[in-house]
Amino acid sequence: MTPLANSLSCLIALGCASFLWRKGSSPYRNGALLSVFLVLFSVFCYFAGDINDPTIEHYPFRMLALCLCLSTTSLSLYRRRYLVLAQSLWCWIELFGGISLYYHGIDIAWTRIAALLSMTLCSTFLSKISKEMEFCLMVFWLAVWVFF
Amino acid sequence: MFKYLMLAGLALFLPGLYALGYSIFEGPSAWMVDSRTFWGTPISLFVFWIGLAHAGTLLSAIFLALEIKLDRRTALIAELSTLVCLVFAGIFPLMHLGVVENFYMVMPLLDARGNFANVGSPLVWDFCCIAVYALLSLVFFMTHLKTREIPALDKYRKPMAWLLFPLVLWVHTVVSLDFATTFVPQWRGAFFPVYFIAGAIFSGLALMNLLLCSEGYRVRLLERLQLIFSWFMCAIWVWDLMLKGSLCTSAFIFAGVLPQFRMIAVIRENKWGRIALSLSVLIGLFLERLYIVSPDFGSCAASPLNWIDWGLIAFSVGGFVLLFFGIRRYLNWKMEGAGSYFGEVDGTDLADAEQQELEKEGARGIAKPRKGFYIQPWASEEYHVLRLPLLVGFAFALVYSIWVLSQSVFANVEFSFANIVPLLYPVIALVTTVTLYVRAYFVEQAFTLSRHEKWASVIVLVLVAACAGAFFAGGSSQNSTNTIDSQSIGVDAPVSQSHARLLWNTRCATCHGVDGKFNEKFVREFYPVPQKLDVQRLDSLGTDSLVKVILNGRANMNAYAGRLTPSEALGLVNYMQTLAKQATESAKEGDNDSAR
Repeated sequence: MTPLANSLSCLIALGCASFLWRKGSSPYRNGALLSVFLVLFSVFCYFAGDINDPTIEHYPFRMLALCLCLSTTSLSLYRRRYLVLAQSLWCWIELFGGISLYYHGIDIAWTRIAALLSMTLCSTFLSKISKEMEFCLMVFWLAVWVFF
Repeated sequence: MFKYLMLAGLALFLPGLYALGYSIFEGPSAWMVDSRTFWGTPISLFVFWIGLAHAGTLLSAIFLALEIKLDRRTALIAELSTLVCLVFAGIFPLMHLGVVENFYMVMPLLDARGNFANVGSPLVWDFCCIAVYALLSLVFFMTHLKTREIPALDKYRKPMAWLLFPLVLWVHTVVSLDFATTFVPQWRGAFFPVYFIAGAIFSGLALMNLLLCSEGYRVRLLERLQLIFSWFMCAIWVWDLMLKGSLCTSAFIFAGVLPQFRMIAVIRENKWGRIALSLSVLIGLFLERLYIVSPDFGSCAASPLNWIDWGLIAFSVGGFVLLFFGIRRYLNWKMEGAGSYFGEVDGTDLADAEQQELEKEGARGIAKPRKGFYIQPWASEEYHVLRLPLLVGFAFALVYSIWVLSQSVFANVEFSFANIVPLLYPVIALVTTVTLYVRAYFVEQAFTLSRHEKWASVIVLVLVAACAGAFFAGGSSQNSTNTIDSQSIGVDAPVSQSHARLLWNTRCATCHGVDGKFNEKFVREFYPVPQKLDVQRLDSLGTDSLVKVILNGRANMNAYAGRLTPSEALGLVNYMQTLAKQATESAKEGDNDSAR
């Protein structure tokens, strides 16, 4: 995927994240939205990336994980717990996706995994998550997405 | 009710048992095998039952960890279903091996003959993860069952739930890597870990809803989740279709389209309607597993399954029903009427029960934090319980990694940290749990064992030690009926070189490689690492000795007496020597070129 399409994908994930976990929304709404987002991410990858490139195989799921991470900042309750869980999911997708690609001769993105893992650990120490901290977290995730 | 279900299970199980016995006797040729993947019904059934095994511990442990209320009876049923599913999931990979008695080779430990399992193989990860998952699920279930008699054990449930949370996901991730690390085009998918986990949760929810129907009540939360997961699975199938251009339509109809009928109130509120919806999901997901494992299945107009395949399916379904409801009947007195949330039907009495629990906790002096109240990091009770055992687990995993990486056998193949990562968490979880319960019993004295339980524990420990000893000793690699050790070989006329080359390519090249340098990719992924063929080694062993190794087997190599004649074996030895010489000459030429 080109750097431009890669940057665009994180903007799409950011846009989708704002629709999740709205106050009073039912599990049906959130479940349906997550499924629709996954289809949207798949369609984006199909048109923006090279379908024969092995690294595209888990790209929509990485986008979904990023979207979930970004969406946790708008939660009103148990924010730290779900923030850690969403980052763990992203790490999970990167690690095991990377291992399966490693067996096809593609290197694992250890830097990305290490950055995510360290932020997951650091997040457990967050106390009150202020607006500024929310912004910093989002910048960090987007930076990991674009640069690592 | 349970009695009739057990009889139905028995009616399926007995003919299935015959099919199982026949297929073990006959080997992999007995069942449908895909011509491209060489996998068939046993692996489909393995993936299916492993997925169902996530129902219990996944729902029970994750709900407990995330403080989502689930009544005791539902949680116990879920945990029991996990254990029973694991029994049947464990049988099928052993059958698939073809050489059942050699299954100890997938233990990631050194044996007395110096063989070390290929820890870079997903099959070894599978064995390790599933064994640890089964053990921890059993401990979790027993702890839950015992909490009525010994309330102090309740303190260990939540820490165990946090340990099981990643483990349960890890197991299915590793199962997905069996596929994703290979080179079959239909299995290309770095997204397989998420795909398999979503499928496992979906099938687990369907199984739970089906079992709850047999209990005569329902948990609406699980039904809602089943519907939501059907949408998510459809979204994943869309991506799979885009990536590979194929879709298992029968699975899509059964597990994607039909579950949407839950939106119709008449079907949703009827017990038989709910049963039909759950069965539809289970059938759909089994067809999907069959399609993934054997892509040929989808392209055949008629079903390629033979009576053995149907027998194996009947064996697992009947066996599950028989065993699950048998244990369920036996444990009736421990489950019935025991939970504060017993018999939750529509959610209304859940709130009452929750209030009762809060009052009970208040009376015991346990202050429950308000929602949204700030909790100090690393201050939770479960972290305090787990802190030391986790540290021991991490230390053990570190030592284990260093030991594995230092094994000389891996000098032959490319090997890195990524190859052993999937083994690490199961090792950590196992050591942590053992430390946790040993400390609880001996140091904290949180629980005691009755005389019978102590005897049972001693017997289990002795059995575990015996199994470990047997693994360490390794099985016999000699074919007892066809051994020729006592005879002289008595052949001096090997088969022709072209015949030997043909034999080599069909019988030996899978592991040793067409050129004798061994098939590194295949070996790296699936089998113990074989010996390299070089002139010095072949000369030191001698022709007679090599013929005997081929015919009688040695270490991890199977015996070929009965499948190859001594003349053919001798022809193969000559051919190996030719290959080794060619390899030496090409290596010398390479050295000369680089020197120039």
